[in-house]
Amino acid sequence: MTRAARVPFLLAALLTLAGVILGVGLVPSVAQDPIRIGASLSLTGTYAALGQNQQRGYQLCAKHVNDKGGVLGRRIEFVFYDDQSQPATGVRLYERLITQDGVDLVLGPYSSAITEAVANVNEKYKKPMVAPMASTTSIFKKGRKFIFMVQSPAEVYLEGLIDLAARNGLRTVALINEDTLFPKASIQGAIELAKKKGLQVVFVEAYPKGHTDFSAILTKIRAANPDVLGAATYFDDAVAITRQMKELNVNPKMYEVTVGGDLPKFYELLGKNAEYVYGATQWEPELPYPGTKDFVEAYRKEFPGADLSYHSAGGYAGCQVLVEGVRRARSLDGEKIRGEILKLNLNTVYGAFRVDDDGFQVAHKMVMFQWQDGKKVIVWPEDLAAGKARFPTPAWNQR
Amino acid sequence: MKWVILGALVLGLGLLGLYPLVATGYGVRFMLQLFMWVALAQSWNLISGLTGYVSFGHVAFFGTGAYAAGILIAVHGWHWAWASLGGGAASAVLAFLIGYPCLRLKGPYFAIAMLGLNEVMRVLVSYFEGLTGGGLGLSLPTLYASVEIYYAMGLTALAVTALAHLIITSRFGLRLMTIREDEVAAEAMGINTARHKLYAFLISAFAPGVVGGLFARDQGYIEPIAVFPLAITITMIVMALFGGKGTIWGPVLGAAVLFVLQELVWARFLYLHQALFGAIIILVVLFMPRGILGVLQQRYRLPRYV
Repeated sequence: MTRAARVPFLLAALLTLAGVILGVGLVPSVAQDPIRIGASLSLTGTYAALGQNQQRGYQLCAKHVNDKGGVLGRRIEFVFYDDQSQPATGVRLYERLITQDGVDLVLGPYSSAITEAVANVNEKYKKPMVAPMASTTSIFKKGRKFIFMVQSPAEVYLEGLIDLAARNGLRTVALINEDTLFPKASIQGAIELAKKKGLQVVFVEAYPKGHTDFSAILTKIRAANPDVLGAATYFDDAVAITRQMKELNVNPKMYEVTVGGDLPKFYELLGKNAEYVYGATQWEPELPYPGTKDFVEAYRKEFPGADLSYHSAGGYAGCQVLVEGVRRARSLDGEKIRGEILKLNLNTVYGAFRVDDDGFQVAHKMVMFQWQDGKKVIVWPEDLAAGKARFPTPAWNQR
Repeated sequence: MKWVILGALVLGLGLLGLYPLVATGYGVRFMLQLFMWVALAQSWNLISGLTGYVSFGHVAFFGTGAYAAGILIAVHGWHWAWASLGGGAASAVLAFLIGYPCLRLKGPYFAIAMLGLNEVMRVLVSYFEGLTGGGLGLSLPTLYASVEIYYAMGLTALAVTALAHLIITSRFGLRLMTIREDEVAAEAMGINTARHKLYAFLISAFAPGVVGGLFARDQGYIEPIAVFPLAITITMIVMALFGGKGTIWGPVLGAAVLFVLQELVWARFLYLHQALFGAIIILVVLFMPRGILGVLQQRYRLPRYV
C-alpha cells in the first residue's frame, strides 16, 4: 500500500470507531422512567478540580435522594457533560441537555463565568436552575427569573470582621484589596457594613494583581494605626501580607484575609505567624448544619481519598434545593418549581437557603474562623461558633 | 467538475439557510459554533496557510473583536451587527500595529510575537476594568437571537471562504505562496514581500474580530480568560492542518470533521477527549502533513479552486 493509500483506511477506521462509540452511547437506558437532571461541569480545564468536587456533591445527593425513594415516586438520575471550563461549550451543552436530550431539570455548572453564560439558555426554556457555585451578584440582578443563588455574595466576605470588631468596641478600620473585581466587591461591601455599624474607615487602598511587596502599603497602615485590618485577598497575597506585617510590626487588634486563609497551606507556610489571623469561608465540614456530619461521613465513604471542599457541599445543597422545589411543586413544570423555590426556607448541609424575588441569596451565612493552635476555629457568627475569638491579637513579639 | 462543485455548494447553502426552521435550539447552536470554527480556521489559513508565517496568537483578534463589540453593545447601545463589524475593524487595526513591525521578522519570531500579543491583550483587558469589567467580565443585555447570530456567523464563514477562493486563485495568492515556498526568491522576483504579508495579515485578522463580536453577542457574557485562551488558537490551527492548509476547502473540511467528532465522541469520554485530540494531531502530522485535501490533491490532481 502506498503512503497516500493508507489515508482513506485510517479515516475509515476512525469513523467506524466513532460510530461504535456513538452507538454504545445511544443505547437507551431501561430504568423505570427516572427524572433526569442535566448538568455540565468543569471536569477538565482550568476549574477541573473544583468542578469535580461539585460533581461528587451532585452524585452523592442523587444517591441519598434515591435511597429515600426518590422524588415524586421516581428515581433521579444525572446526565453530566464536561464543558472543559469554557463558557461557550457550557452554553452548547445546556442547549443540548434541554432541547436534544430532553432532561427534566437542570443544575448549575461551576464558576460565575460559565453560569452567567448558560443562564440565558435556561431562561429561554424556562428551566429553573439552582446555581450553587456562582457568587457574583450581577448574575442574579439582571432580571432573570429562573436562576437561584446558593452561596453568599462577595460583598459579605468581611461581615464577620466588622461585626465582631463593633461588638468589641473597636473604632477604626483599614481595608486593602487586590485590584480585581471580586476582592473589590468584598471591600465595597465591608465599607457599607462598617458605616452601618458605626466604625470609621480610615484607610482604603488597592494593590495590583501579582503584587508581592506590600511594605509601602503596610507602612502607611502602620501610620494610620487602625484597630482592624481587613484584606480582600487570594492565597499568595494573603501569605505575603501576613509575613510582611510581622517584619514591619504592623499590629492591628484584628486582622482578616478573605480568600486563601482557609487553606491548610496557609498555616503550613506561616506557622506560628498565622495564629490569631481571621479568615472567611463559605462552609467548613465542622459546621453544625443539619445533615452536615452525615454528608461528610458519607462523602468520605463514597469517594475515599477524594478532595472535599465547600464546592462539594454546595453542589449537594444545590441538588437538595432543587429536589425540595420539585417535591413541593408536585410537578416538573418550570414555572411551578420556580414558585416553590422562591418560597423555600430550607436548611441544607451548606447552611440556610432563602432567596429574594430575583433568586439572590439572602440567608446563607459566611463564617469567620480564627487560626488557634494550628486549627481553624469558627468564631463567627455566634450561633455557629465552635469557640471564642482570641481577642485582642497580641503584639508580634509576644506570640 | 467546476459546475458540480458549484451546484453542490448552492444546494448546501440552501439547506443550511433553511435549517433553523426545522432544527432544535441545540442544532442551531451547534451549527452556529461550527460556522465560528470554520471562519476562524479559514482566517488563520489566510495568513499562515498561504505565507507560511505561523500565527500562534490568532485568538488575540478574536478576543479583541469580542471586547470591542461587547463594549459597543453594552456601553454605547449599538446593534450587534454593526458592533461586530466594529470588532472586525478593531482587530484589523491591531493587526496593522503588530504586523507592520513583526512581519519583517523571519523564522519563529513572528510566531512568538503573536503569542506575546495575545498575552498582552489579555492583561490589558484585565487592567482597564473601567471599560472592560476586568476579571469580572463584561455582561451584555440579555437577548435571545441565536437564529439571527446563526445567519450572521454563517455569512461570515461563507465570506471568509469566498475570500480564500478569491485570493488563492489570484495572482496575489500566488505571490503569497511564493513567499511561503522561498521568500528570498520571491523578493528576487520583485515581489514586495513585506507589503504582501501585511495585506494578507490584515485580511486574516478582520474575520476573527467579527466572529469574536458575534460570539460575545451570542454568549451574552465575556471575560478575559474565555476569549483569549491559547486553546482557541491551537484548535483553529489543528482544524486548518487537518483539512489541509493553503487550500480553499481544507479549513472548512477540517473544522467540520473535528467539531462533529468532538461533539459525538469527546463529549462522551470525559477524560479521553484531550488524549484523542493529541492523537489526531500526531496522526495528521505523521501521515498527512498536508491535511485531507492535500492528500487528495496529490492523488487526484484536484484543481486549484478546491
